[in-house]
Parts: sequence; C-alpha cells; structure tokens
Amino acid sequence: MKPPILIIVTSTIVLGTMIVLFSSHWLMIWIGFEMNMLAIIPILMKKFNPRAMEASTKYFLTQATASMLLMLGIIINLLYSGHWTISMIPNPVASTVITIALAMKLGLSPFHFWVPEVTQGVSLSSGMILLTWQKIAPLSVLYQISPSINPNLLVTMAATSVLVGGWGGLNQTQLRKILAYSSIAHMGWMAAIMVYNPTLMILNLAIYIMMTLGTFMLFMYNLSTTTLSLSHTWNKSPLIASLILALMLSLGGLPPLSGFIPKWMIIQELTKNDMIVMPTFMAITALLNLYFYMRLMYATALTMFPSANNMKMKWQFESTKKMILLPPLIVASTMLLPLTPMLSIMD
Amino acid sequence: MPVVYVNIFLAFIVSLMGLLIYRSHLMSSLLCLEGMMLSLFVMLTVTVLNNHFTLANMAPIILLVFAACEAALGLSLLVMVSNTYGTDYVQNLNLLQC
Repeated sequence: MKPPILIIVTSTIVLGTMIVLFSSHWLMIWIGFEMNMLAIIPILMKKFNPRAMEASTKYFLTQATASMLLMLGIIINLLYSGHWTISMIPNPVASTVITIALAMKLGLSPFHFWVPEVTQGVSLSSGMILLTWQKIAPLSVLYQISPSINPNLLVTMAATSVLVGGWGGLNQTQLRKILAYSSIAHMGWMAAIMVYNPTLMILNLAIYIMMTLGTFMLFMYNLSTTTLSLSHTWNKSPLIASLILALMLSLGGLPPLSGFIPKWMIIQELTKNDMIVMPTFMAITALLNLYFYMRLMYATALTMFPSANNMKMKWQFESTKKMILLPPLIVASTMLLPLTPMLSIMD
Repeated sequence: MPVVYVNIFLAFIVSLMGLLIYRSHLMSSLLCLEGMMLSLFVMLTVTVLNNHFTLANMAPIILLVFAACEAALGLSLLVMVSNTYGTDYVQNLNLLQC
C-alpha cells in the first residue's frame, strides 16, 4: 500500500479509537466505532488474496451488525432516560442490547465465531492490529457502563468464552488461529471481572496487549504462520526460540511470569466477592489454554522437530523485519510480577 | 411508551433476523443491514421530534451519513467477492474454516 494512503488509513483507525475513548456522548462513541471499522478494512486487505477478502467480508458483516445493535441500545436508552451521556443505563433492555453489541465487537462467546476465521485470513501484522488495538475501544465503553451491566449475562458470556477459547484452540496448528482462540479466552477473563472491579480489567487488557504484541512480532520475525515453520526457528534464530518459550508460558499464566498477574488478581477479586465456582472453573479451563501454548513451545524450543538433515546446517541470515520495541515488550511481558504490590496505588 | 415504537422495534428485529438467517446471497444481508439502519433512523427521528430534544435534531442525519458510508464499504466488498467468484453466494466464502 502506498505510504500516503497507509498514513491516512492508520490515522483514521487511531482517531476512531481515540474518539471512542474520550467521548461522553453516545453518538460520538458510535461514530468512533464506525470510523474504526471503515478504516480497518483496507488494513485487513493489505495482501490481496481470496482469504483476505473473505476475512474482510466476515469482519465487516459482524462489526456492522454490532454497530446497528449498539445504535438500537443507544436509542432505547435515549427514549427511557432522556439524555445522551454515557454514565448509567437505567433501562435493563438498553443495557442488555448494548452489552451484546459490544460483546460482538470484542469476540466474546457466543459471538466469537468470526475471530478465528478473520485472524486466519489476514497477514500477521494486520492480525496483530485486529487482536490488540481493536479491543481497546469496546472495553473502554464497557468499563464506563460497568455498573449497569446485567451481571448474569456477563458472567455467562465469560464462562462460555474461557471454555471456547480453551477447547477451540486445541485442534489448531495455524498460529493465527491459536492466537485468536487465546484472545477469546482472555476476553472471557476480562469480562468476568468487569462486574466487580473494572480496574483489573484494564490491567488484564494492558498485560494481554503487551504479550500478544510480543508474540506476533516474534512470529513475524521468521514469517512463520504454522507450527511447522515455527519449529525451524531453533536453527535460524535460536534467541527467538527461547523468547517464544518465555512468552508462551507467560500467555498461559504461569507464576513467575507477568501473565500470572491478571489471573491472580482476578481470582482474588472474585473470591473476595464470594464467588467460588466461577474462579475455580476459569482456572481449570486456563489449563486447556496452557496445553496448546506448551505444545507450541515444545515444538519450537524444547525439541528438534523432525526435519530433513540439511536443515541442521542452514545459513543464519540476518532478518530485515522491523520489530518495534520488541525488547521492552518481552521484558514487560515476562518480568513484571515483582511489581504487583504497586497495584495498590490504584485504590 | 407509545405503540409506534413497538412497531419500529419490530421492523428492526425483522431486519436483524433477515441479516442473521440468509440462504445464499450476500446481497440480502447487506439489504437487511440497510433495513436496520432505516428503522433506527425512523425510531431516532420519532424520539427526537416527540420529546422535543431540539439539540439532537441533527442526530438522525449523522446516523444516515455514517450508515451510508458503511453501505458503500459493504457494496465494495460485495463487488470484490463477485469479481473473484462470479456470484455473491455465501457458500463460496468457505476458505477459512478449521
């Protein structure tokens, strides 16, 4: 894509999300979502092939439906409360419709069917923007209306999301689909805590974005999109293989790494509010997630996958991929656990 | 709540069902998207005019503008699908299944 067009499209995506983030008028929020969706379709179709076209069509259809449902919720809210500000939504019908619309935008179950297919059809860098930047706007709106969301609806969606995210990723070898199911599961964790402590949702989002950005960039380094091509990393760039090891363990939420911080805080907050079954269930289904991360890691960093003999003597060329801010991202995604007591400044 | 809102809400629900349950053509889901937009436009206009929210008189027109942009984008995607496959059947969009 030519640089001037890329600059215009990227700035519209950023502007759309910024409009959602700092608006207090529902119509402006809707406009921000529309701008975001309109501008990301060219990004999804950077590489023009039938898969990208199909992914863009599916993305457009689901996001357009979600936008229309959001507008319906806004109008019902206007009808019953008489104002356009995004504070409390007194009417339960409007609140349910808006929550469902935002869940469709996020890819929470049972509206998750578009996430693996769309992530699979686009290139790695477009998928990176899709799974990280596009989650910021809906989650910020959910953060602002969190006191008036129906808790039963949200906790049901969270429970089904962690289940779907765990089980759906088990049969995948394509890396983009694995990261899509990982995104569904993490959105489930974020939705579960939104009713009780929305600040922890922002913490989970921040750590998830850092880990996912790091993972995508490590995959882009070798241009690998399948487990098989990732398993050749030990020969081409052994440092990347060990970083994939650390980052996969962090995504799975294992203790000495910073992926554990949000899970720990969320389980603590849920048990403080006398919910015992839900955090137990979520912690157990996180094991399903951990299984397919560990399988990736096993193939990449812990074993030498079966390959032809001349693979072991490949020249190690310098990669020319630009990886922005990768070392700070890796450090932030794996070593932040000792800083957890600093969360007390948010009270 | 006046009965007219139930009518317009029902129109929205019918269009939503038409979007979600379609048989073969992608064009029909785009048409149902426009139907949803139309029912939302009418609902917003009736709300704003009946309750005299004078400052919100522009809101239906702004809704119309952005929905028209979205419709144009949907049509361009339909044209690309049609260029590749010859028709707009949704059975053709099956490359990305697991």
